[in-house]
Amino acid sequence: MTDRAPVLAVQTPPAGFDPYVDRVQASPVRFLYGLNPLAKLVAPLPAMALLIFVRDAATPVAFLLLSYLLLFVGVNFTRRLAALLLIALPVGAAAIGFGFSLWTDAARVDQSVVIWQLGPWTLYGGALAVGFATGLRLASIVALALIAGLSTTGPDVVRASVQQLRVPYRIGYTALAAFRFVPRFGHELEVIRQAHRVRGAHGGRGPFSAIARWFGYVVPLLAGAIRHAERVALAMDARAFGAHPDRTERHLVPWRARDTVFVVLFWIASAAIFWFFFPWGLA
Amino acid sequence: MTAPERTPSAGRLLGPTKDAATAAPLLRVRDLAITYEGGVAPAPASISFEIAAGEVVLLLGPSGSGKSTLTLALNGLIPHAIPATVAGAVAVSGVVTTSTTVAELSSRVGMVFQDPDAQLVTGTLLDEVAFGPENLRMPLADVLDRAEVALRRVGLWERRSENPDRLSGGGRQRLAIACALAMGSPLLVLDEPTANLDPRGIEEVYDALAELVAAGDRAILLVEHNLDAAVGFIDRVLVLDQEGRLAADGSVDDVLRARADELHAMGVWLPVSALAALRLRRAGFALDPLPLTPAELHAALEAAEAPTRAVLRTDSPDSAGSGRIGPIPRADPENGTPLIEVRGLTLRRGRTTVLHDVDLDVREGEFVAVVGANGAGKTTLIQAIAGVVPPPRGSVRVGDPSSGAGHRLDVGRTDSRTLSSRIGFVFQNPEHQFIAHTVFDEIAHGLRLRHLPDDEVRERTEALLDRFDLRAKAQSHPFLLSGGQKRRLSVGTALVTGGLFTGAPILALDEPTFGQDRARADELLALLRELNDEGTTILVVTHDMQLVTEYTAHTVVMADGRILRAGTTADVFADDDLIERAGLRPPPLRRALRGLTRHPELARLARFADLPGGAA
Repeated sequence: MTDRAPVLAVQTPPAGFDPYVDRVQASPVRFLYGLNPLAKLVAPLPAMALLIFVRDAATPVAFLLLSYLLLFVGVNFTRRLAALLLIALPVGAAAIGFGFSLWTDAARVDQSVVIWQLGPWTLYGGALAVGFATGLRLASIVALALIAGLSTTGPDVVRASVQQLRVPYRIGYTALAAFRFVPRFGHELEVIRQAHRVRGAHGGRGPFSAIARWFGYVVPLLAGAIRHAERVALAMDARAFGAHPDRTERHLVPWRARDTVFVVLFWIASAAIFWFFFPWGLA
Repeated sequence: MTAPERTPSAGRLLGPTKDAATAAPLLRVRDLAITYEGGVAPAPASISFEIAAGEVVLLLGPSGSGKSTLTLALNGLIPHAIPATVAGAVAVSGVVTTSTTVAELSSRVGMVFQDPDAQLVTGTLLDEVAFGPENLRMPLADVLDRAEVALRRVGLWERRSENPDRLSGGGRQRLAIACALAMGSPLLVLDEPTANLDPRGIEEVYDALAELVAAGDRAILLVEHNLDAAVGFIDRVLVLDQEGRLAADGSVDDVLRARADELHAMGVWLPVSALAALRLRRAGFALDPLPLTPAELHAALEAAEAPTRAVLRTDSPDSAGSGRIGPIPRADPENGTPLIEVRGLTLRRGRTTVLHDVDLDVREGEFVAVVGANGAGKTTLIQAIAGVVPPPRGSVRVGDPSSGAGHRLDVGRTDSRTLSSRIGFVFQNPEHQFIAHTVFDEIAHGLRLRHLPDDEVRERTEALLDRFDLRAKAQSHPFLLSGGQKRRLSVGTALVTGGLFTGAPILALDEPTFGQDRARADELLALLRELNDEGTTILVVTHDMQLVTEYTAHTVVMADGRILRAGTTADVFADDDLIERAGLRPPPLRRALRGLTRHPELARLARFADLPGGAA
């Protein structure tokens, strides 16, 4: 078939997020790449939903460890992965945790431990516990989402939804084509802002003039967007897009036994964690 | 051009002879008239023609004659995707377009549009080319075969796994041609495929097209205003007139060579070499048959007798040397401080340095072109001068006569409102600059910002509307103007606060002719020349070398963020080595005239206006 060279995420230019990067070639140990994108999305879904209602710290930590284990084994170890999992996520969790502990109503937490006192204001250990539980909860949800996010490409998600979920391909591929619009509009917006600034159209400071300013960007941006979308639609029509109820699929994204195994195992593991910690104490 | 030149009439004879007389022609258009919804007159209006297998046909016509509309009707996009009233019929291989679908027609007529970005759907070149065949539900092996053949034909097979975003404009347009080829259609329709490209991209696309033509397996209908590149491999020319009727249909010899005067009068753009030859004929040169390419003009001039002195009126060597017609530059280049002074300007965007230590002087009243390959830093330079991108303090200074002689604005420290009263900046797309709901308010905006009394605002705005021929549109929404009107309005808004206050405004324009047809480009440049004659200093970034040589007195050549040369346009374009190093191409007229041995007085010229025969 095609002897295409692997394009790794790390090789992409610093232009930013590329939804089209090819799937990564990796050793069989990096098993996450070989799974159906839908399996990777469906497996952590129950755990992510239930984590929203969890209040303790142990359950999120358990799921955090589970996702980290899967990611470090199942995904190519790159500098980007390390930075994301070992720096960005912990720092984010800590920041949110600290923020929430300041925000928590001090009257409603355990006041037995005093961490910090500033005049009449006291930071209690209870508040800190509540805050960091929240931070960990969010971090664990993000980590679970990264299982699919770091091992799946945009086109594969579209292909899997067309092939397994029976999403009409016209919708799936149009959505994919729409990804191309994003950087284009970003650039166009930047030019429009420059052009309006040159006209002296900034109209002053403050939130209201900012809103007025943004409304001024909308008309030229929309005019350009509609024209561009029409042209893309014509070009797609001219290449027989939507001619038949289905189309030749060069890349099959099958649902195999290992996908079922992965989903079932993940659900069992999730259930076990929830059963073991049972974070909804009767108290 | 690198295009292999075919004898103009050979294809015409070859095409229809192959048992085409018996079978249905590839394309048959009968009494076709198309009126858009809400349109008044049809364009095209009642035209009939046929295209046989393997023919290469060029479609010409002034803007508004319905060329693009016609191309959209050939594969059924009109009326299936774009609502319009269609009279008459288009039949492709005997199939009438109105009675089938665009998808069905897509394997009979391949389309290539003007904007390469608007034709991309997927993430790799291979996926992109395979997209069409996949939609046709072809078996996997066939899809890959077709994709490979198509990509190889445009020379992109080696890059098949890359994201199309990483291709140059020319590369992306070649990809669009490959995508059309992959549909397997015997007829290829290209609607201004090079209008959005720089000179190098245009050359790339024409190299690819020339190879296609040489293979001879596809009929091609080409709408193009860049005739200098196309004319080498055309079999036949169709011309639509202003009313959308078929004005000419015949071989290159019969139409372009024999009826050039008539076409020119009709507003059809001719190759620069043909226009130059028409003018030289008036000056007494015997140029018959009419040369169409730079090479033909060169050869014809070498063969032609020089006219007698009485007829030949070359302009004085002085004006040819300074490369300027009309008033001589106001400021003596040797005396006085320059109006714009750039010193050691270095600009970074992200981690890359876009401008390296640039020095430049622009004097009052100059008309300066900034040229260079893509990514040379042209736009950034004029943006820094106009303060659109803030330059480092002290690196760009602009004279400000309104606040006393010798006073200079440091662009890096000046707020945008003050700056806009000195320098107007016109963006590539005029729509980006519009901020008001009527044309009147658009012009008045800049004056109101300066808290002028209402009477004065009205008076000045109306004067400017008259000046730019927009008075009748004063209450229209700017977005509803025609393309040419939008462009004039954007120039007007950039000028209104500057020119009328200080008397010596500066206008900077970023590729104002990009994606426009020749008539509109000419109209704009004529307007700029008028403004320049009235004292406006003009800086313009452009890819169009002939335009540069025609209109500007000075040229700045940039490459890789540095200025290679800043000098008079005539000097710059006389230096072929410099042009080559900058990744540019000499303008067609220069290519035709350089190295002429028989008429040395013509060999130095690069501008149309300097040719003899202009007064006629």
